[in-house]
Order: sequence, then C-alpha cells, then structure tokens
Amino acid sequence: METAFALTGKGYVLLAADTTAVHSIIKVKTDVDKIKELSPCLLMAYSGEPGDTVQFAEYIERNIRLYHIRNNFPLRPPSAASWIRRSLADSLRSRKPYSVNLLLGGYDTSTYMPHLYWMDYFGTLAEVPFAAHGYGSYFTLSLLDKYHDPEATVEEGIATLKRCIDEVSKRLVVSPARFKVKIVDKDGVREIEL
Amino acid sequence: MPDGSFSHPQERQFNPYTENGGTILAIAGADFSVVAGDTRQSEGYSIQTRYAPKVHKLTDRAVLAVNGFAADGNMFVKKVKQRLEWYRHAHAKDMPLRAIARLIQTMLYGQRFFPYYVYNILGGIEEDGTGAIYSFDPVGSYERETCRAAGAAMALVQPFLDNQIYFKNQQAPADSPHPVHLPLQDVLSIVIDSFTSATERHIEVGDGLEIYVILAKGRSAQGLESIRNVQEMSTNPEGDRVFVIRRELKKD
Amino acid sequence: MSIMQHNGGSVIAMVGKDCVAIASDLRLGVQSLSITSDFEKIFPVTDRLFVGLPGLATDVTTLREQFRYRVNMYTIKEEREIEPQTFAQLVSSTLYERRFGPYFIEPVMAGMQKTPAGGYAPFIAATDLIGCLNFAKDFVVAGTASEKLFGVAEGLWEPDLEAEDLFETISQTLLNALDRDAFSGWGAVVHVITKDKVITRKLKGRMD
Repeated sequence: METAFALTGKGYVLLAADTTAVHSIIKVKTDVDKIKELSPCLLMAYSGEPGDTVQFAEYIERNIRLYHIRNNFPLRPPSAASWIRRSLADSLRSRKPYSVNLLLGGYDTSTYMPHLYWMDYFGTLAEVPFAAHGYGSYFTLSLLDKYHDPEATVEEGIATLKRCIDEVSKRLVVSPARFKVKIVDKDGVREIEL
Repeated sequence: MPDGSFSHPQERQFNPYTENGGTILAIAGADFSVVAGDTRQSEGYSIQTRYAPKVHKLTDRAVLAVNGFAADGNMFVKKVKQRLEWYRHAHAKDMPLRAIARLIQTMLYGQRFFPYYVYNILGGIEEDGTGAIYSFDPVGSYERETCRAAGAAMALVQPFLDNQIYFKNQQAPADSPHPVHLPLQDVLSIVIDSFTSATERHIEVGDGLEIYVILAKGRSAQGLESIRNVQEMSTNPEGDRVFVIRRELKKD
Repeated sequence: MSIMQHNGGSVIAMVGKDCVAIASDLRLGVQSLSITSDFEKIFPVTDRLFVGLPGLATDVTTLREQFRYRVNMYTIKEEREIEPQTFAQLVSSTLYERRFGPYFIEPVMAGMQKTPAGGYAPFIAATDLIGCLNFAKDFVVAGTASEKLFGVAEGLWEPDLEAEDLFETISQTLLNALDRDAFSGWGAVVHVITKDKVITRKLKGRMD
C-alpha cells in the first residue's frame, strides 16, 4: 500500500516513498520514482489517485521550473508550498479535483533552513518536523514522535528513517518491497541508497 | 402506491424509542451526596410537561436520577423500587448503595438487546458513611465517581464540573492543595449555577429544578439552613436523611 | 463525520472591561489522527482586531489569504484601517458570496472598535459558515468544542472583567472545554486586546 514519509534534521530534509505501482490486486511496477525534484533545493513526494498524481506533479514541476527560468532564482520553499497549496485548494472546488497528497521538503538557501511541509488533497498545509502519508503513517508517526531529533546528523536521520521503513515492512499488511529515499540540503538534492 | 397497486415494495418501521431531553447531575461530598435534575420533559421542539421528576428517592440513603427516554426511565425506576421492596421484605433492611448499583447494572444488562434507553446516576451514602455517586450507561457499564452530568446538556455541564469540582487546569498554591471534597454549600451553588447555565444555552433544559441532598447519619444539616424551599423526605431523622430543594428555572 | 469536524479545532472570544480576548486550540488533525500541534487559526487583521477561523483547515488558509487581500485593498482605497464592525460585514459578505458552495469555516472576531467620542469599545462577533452575523454582548464560540465552550463560558464569564481576569476566564473556559473534546486541544493560544496593546500567550495544557 502506498506510503510516503519524511523528516527534518540539522540542515537537511529526508524523504522516502515506496516504489510500487498498483493496479487492482496486481503490482505493475516496483521501481517507480514518486519523489520529484522540483528545483535545485526542493523535493516533492506525491501519492494518491493514479493518473492524478503524475499529471499534477508534472504540472507543478513545470511551473516551478518556469518561475526559475523567468526569474533566474527558484521559488523558496515557503513560497513554493503556498503556491502548490493554492493549486490544490482551487482544484478541490473545481469540476474534477486532483486527489493528490504531498510532502514537500526543501532547503532555503537564503535563510539556511530546512523546511518540510505536509499537504493533503484538500489543500491543507502544515509545516512540520516530520510527516507521513498513507497507511504507513499510522506506524511511522508514533515512531518519529519518539525518535525524531531536529538536530540529528544525516547518519542519525537515515537511521531513524530506516526504523520507519523496517516497521512498515514488518507490520503493514501489503508492505511495499522497496523505498526510494532522497535528501535535500545546502548542496542540493540527491538520492540515497539504503 | 396512490393507485393501489402492489408493484412497488414498501417498508414500514416502528421506532420504539424517543428522546425526552432534560439533564441530570450528581456530586458526592465527604459525608453527603447531591443529585439534581431539571423537570422539563420535551419531544422535539414541543414541551410535554414542565414538571416531570427525573430524580427519585429509592431509600433513605439512595436517590436515582434517570434521563433519556422518559417512558423507559419511569418503568425502570418502578422496577428498581420493586426489587428494593422485595429486598426489604426478605432482609428487613434497606439495600446498601453499592448493592443497588450492582442491581441496576444487572437489570440494565438484562435488557442488553432491547435496552432501556436511559442514562442513570445513582447517588447516596455508602455503608461506611461516605457520599457516593454511581453513573451508568444504558446497558449497565458503571463506575463510582465524585461528580457526573448526563443528558441533553452533558456537554455543557461536565467540563464546567471538571473545572469546579476536580479543579482541572487549576494550579493549587504550594501551601494549600485543592480539597478532595467540597462543603455542601459550595456544591449546591455549583449545582444551581450549572443548571441556570444549561437552561440559558440549551432549549431542552429549564422549567424547574429538583435537588436531592442525602446526608450521612449523624451529620448536621449544616449548609442547608440558609437554603430556601427545603423539604425533608426521610422517614427516620436518626439515620441517613434525604432532603429535596425545589427551584424555578427559566421557562423560555 | 461532517466536513466541519474533519480537521478539528475551536475558537472563543469574550468581552471584558475596555478589553476583549480571543483564544483557540492549536491542533490540526485528519479525523482522529493528529498531524501538528502548532496550527494557528487566529490571525491579526489590524493592531486592534483579530479573526479566528475554525473549521476545514484548507479553508482556514484560503480565507485568511482572502481576508488579507480584501483588507489590504480596503486600507489602500480608504487610506485608513478597517474598523471591526466593517470587517465583520466584510467577513459576512465574503462567506455569503459562496452561499451554495460554502467555505467550511465559522469565523469569530474580536477587537476594539472606535467610538464617535474618540475612545474604543470592545467588539466581538461570530458568523456561521454562510455569513449570518451574531453580535453578542458577552462571548461567542465556534468549532468542534462549541457546545462545551458554551457550557463553561456561561458558568465562568461575568461582565466587566479587567484584562488579567479576562485572560484567566477565557483560558480556563477554553482549556476545560478542550479537555472534553477529542478533536480540539494539543495546546492553546490566547490574545487579550486593549486599546493600546495586545498580549499573546501560549497556554500549557493537556497534550492528549
């Protein structure tokens, strides 16, 4: 079942998302990347209705890119979050709303602060120290309540993230086979092999 | 169908329950208990009567407040009283409070699959002379407590009681901790305030207020003397005593 | 469960002597799952006016942005700050604009209103989700704990409370109501507004 979660640490944000594409009871793919790199220091994990997710994520990706090209500077994480939220909120009251849930992790190169935003398909936006979407959230949020440290090093952050992945693998009925993990910090975004 | 045909299936249903509004409330002191209820009985937006007692004296040391579906409530009280009378005939004494509480749970659970649609609060004096309150849900789950509100205005009254009786969210000074039990006079003020507040904001609460006060054997009537409209209900002034205070509530 | 209860949250406002107070919880949840404990739903409009927006969280943000835009436009056009009474009408018409597809928010306002004599008078108001105004003289409540807030406030509130006493009254009312509501709580914030200053305090309460 679809699960995504994220946590902040000292100068970075870690995002993890499962890599399975499901159709009915069939696993169609096990190497899907559900974390988009929106700009040099901004990551977005998306989940929800198949079709809506990719369509909406690409729309966001391209518009964030357009802003970057036009202004020579990318949108900073708080502004990007606000704009994406508004897109979802407007969509909610349209004829066909997108049902896409997001985690937005970014590093603000102006204030040198990591930011993590939790967003659902209603357009509810909250800045949080750690977050999760999907059934996995029922396990990981309580784990993160206990183990999350906003001052943790990358190694400690990854260790905490591993705890979450292990717990989901152990307890979730249909647990995802693999997770893709990405990090964003002052050096930009990159993938992490666990 | 208007044309009298039977081509469409029809469903008929009889609903054996209704909700008759009102609120009840009980607070236990160290050596007394207070059980109160308003006297309005309503159905929907209509008032059926302005005086339908919800608080009933069972024995000289036990008072039962019943709230919810009035027909069920009245029948339930009648049956409890009958069981208590049988007990008197068999044992030549009144049933102790904690035994009445267990009796009520058994009687309620006996109707587990066609419940009495009522919330009960039993108040009185325990055999050791302490004030006690027992609250029940419609199928007999029960618990001894210090204070409890039930009925239409439960949501309005209970948090107020948490604050005023249990001193929730209040920090006590280091040299004077919060009292475990309040004096009778304070309890009566809180009860009256609770009901005037509930009457103000809830349409199903009002008309009249009946407050039963049960005093442990040997306890003076201190705290009652300044109260107007007090009537003694007990048969034996030497044992546990029961008083009732009647007040008017707003009728709009 | 109703959409009004989806995210949880409650707001209350009270009148005192030459002061008003407005307070709310800080929870943001999705049904029974709590997401964060620092979701503010009370926002400053002017130096002497606050608006609380309990209800569906997406609409909290949307309406907050909408009100900020409209108040800014008003300030620029009129070259003066908006008065609480006027703002209440603005809130009402903004909500009624969406009469048949409403924002799921029940706003609560508290502020100090300029009087013709040149002084300031306490002002509170609340509306339902389609903008029906309620100008109460004592207190107004809204959100998932509204019933509980009504009960406690009716018992604790009295007329002409001084700023510090009003703070204690609104705090006790809020905290005790929140503790009996599963959808509100996880911290609280109180603003006490007088004619020349605003005192904001975060309350320590139960976190369950």
